[in-house]
Amino acid sequence: MATMALIRDTFREALARKIFWGLFGLSVAMILFFLFLLKIDLVEGAMATVSLFGRTSNRLTDVDRLVRGVYGGIATFLYTWGMFLAVFASAGLIPSVLEPGRIELLLSKPISRTHILLGRYIGNVLVISCNVVFLVLGIWTILGMKTGIWSPAFLVSIATTIFIFAVLLSVVVLIGVLFESAALATMISMALMIISAILAQTSIMLRLLSSEWSRDLWKGLYYVLPKIWDIGRITLSAIQDRTFNDYTSIWSSALFAAVILSTALYIFSRRDF
Amino acid sequence: MSSEYAIETAGLIKVYRSRWKRREVRAVDGISLRVARGTIFGLLGPNGAGKTTFVKLLLSAVHPTAGSALLFGREAREPEARRPIGYLPENHRFPTYFTGEGMLDFYAALSGLGDAQRKKLIPELLDLVGLSQWGGVRLGKYSKGMLQRVGLAQALIHSPSLLILDEPTDGVDPVGRRHIRDILTGFEEKGVTIFINSHLLAEVEMFCQEVAIIHRGKVALSGKVADLIAGKGYRLTVAHPPENLVDQLRAQAASTAARNGLIDFQFPTRESANQALDLLRAQHCEIEALAPTTSTLEDVFVRTVENGGQN
Repeated sequence: MATMALIRDTFREALARKIFWGLFGLSVAMILFFLFLLKIDLVEGAMATVSLFGRTSNRLTDVDRLVRGVYGGIATFLYTWGMFLAVFASAGLIPSVLEPGRIELLLSKPISRTHILLGRYIGNVLVISCNVVFLVLGIWTILGMKTGIWSPAFLVSIATTIFIFAVLLSVVVLIGVLFESAALATMISMALMIISAILAQTSIMLRLLSSEWSRDLWKGLYYVLPKIWDIGRITLSAIQDRTFNDYTSIWSSALFAAVILSTALYIFSRRDF
Repeated sequence: MSSEYAIETAGLIKVYRSRWKRREVRAVDGISLRVARGTIFGLLGPNGAGKTTFVKLLLSAVHPTAGSALLFGREAREPEARRPIGYLPENHRFPTYFTGEGMLDFYAALSGLGDAQRKKLIPELLDLVGLSQWGGVRLGKYSKGMLQRVGLAQALIHSPSLLILDEPTDGVDPVGRRHIRDILTGFEEKGVTIFINSHLLAEVEMFCQEVAIIHRGKVALSGKVADLIAGKGYRLTVAHPPENLVDQLRAQAASTAARNGLIDFQFPTRESANQALDLLRAQHCEIEALAPTTSTLEDVFVRTVENGGQN
């Protein structure tokens, strides 16, 4: 009951913030954009081609490639700009709950501090999940209906986007608990995304780095920090029906999030308000 | 809830240490206090005395450096110990995206009330605090007094056994204050323990049965309000006494004050007041009045604080 109340409260607060409506508005605009694009030229043209040459598999592959390309583009957008916007919008939700006059009242209730922070964390993940599901399912449905191609692989991007958001949110929570600063939390999360992209070039860098210790440092950072870039590549592979069997980047990122979130919970449980 | 005390602290200490500078502040310095069930207890003290930190220690919003705090016999740090508590913080900041009803629903759910109970109790509580017409309005539109009243409703909604109220009438007009006092009196009659942290000494004197005055993190004085303000002495008011007698009486009196041709002599004991009366009557002076005097809680408070914690 208390968990549900905390989650509902996070939703209420998110809905009271214009930035979340902006995020939702952006999703609606994207869905409308694809609806419009499909009708006017690009996809309708492709559909005509498919209808005429529906019996030939080559033409069908063209449409399939087009749809998968669109999916890949959206997944990339979600993964970069979408992630930035989601973190930016969410970063204020932790400091706000720690405000003097608000946190004391929460702490006076018969619930543990872990419960309070986890409730907020889960609520925040669910808020963003709703938006991601709405956007991806919306575009998937439109493209599916217009092209007849229902590629479930695109839906993988829902899981990976939410997963990476959850990883980054653990950092936002830690920074929020430590410094109560939304701006700092956003900056560090974004820095982590950029560093992840740089660290992902491991094979090139290990050849370029001259000393053993610098290679070890590079590898250490690569394995410790979340592999946002790598998971993005997995998402694109899934969309393009390419196989992948290395799940290291997923479980090591999950481990990173678990450690960071546990640290945040520990600090929160020790803090005086 | 087996203990006979609603609140019991022993040697409670809170030292704030600056992270970077080597500076220590002993906000609470060994407070041992017992608040019996069913009493109305007032916590007083000048600004920075440690009252708010003490309250936060009770709620486990602040961790003690040493000592213990029990609520109905349970360690205050256990979440379950806080179940029977209703709390209204000073300078509360209720999220303005809530309506009055939404806010009560949220905090009642955190206190463990089920859906059906909440649906039943929210209109009742809004009615109790005089906000039944305002339940659907966002808190951002509420005045300070209304926020205080809806905050009180939040503290009362789960029928707590202990109410901890930090400046409960802050920002409330006199009619509203009377209303809040009446509500609290009703809960006191039901056996609810009420712990008030307030600067309004007259209100505390009128409302509380027991008080503790905290000064520099320690309990400087505590006891029943009736005992603390009683037995100060006797005031003898005389009309135009002769000068030589005034000097003689002034030497015996604790204090003297002149007003409109009358002189007030304050005597510490009944004997000294009677001796002065005999002297005055022997010289045919007119006695305007003779009355026992009591201190106000404000006198006690000021005396305690000015004496550095020694009453």
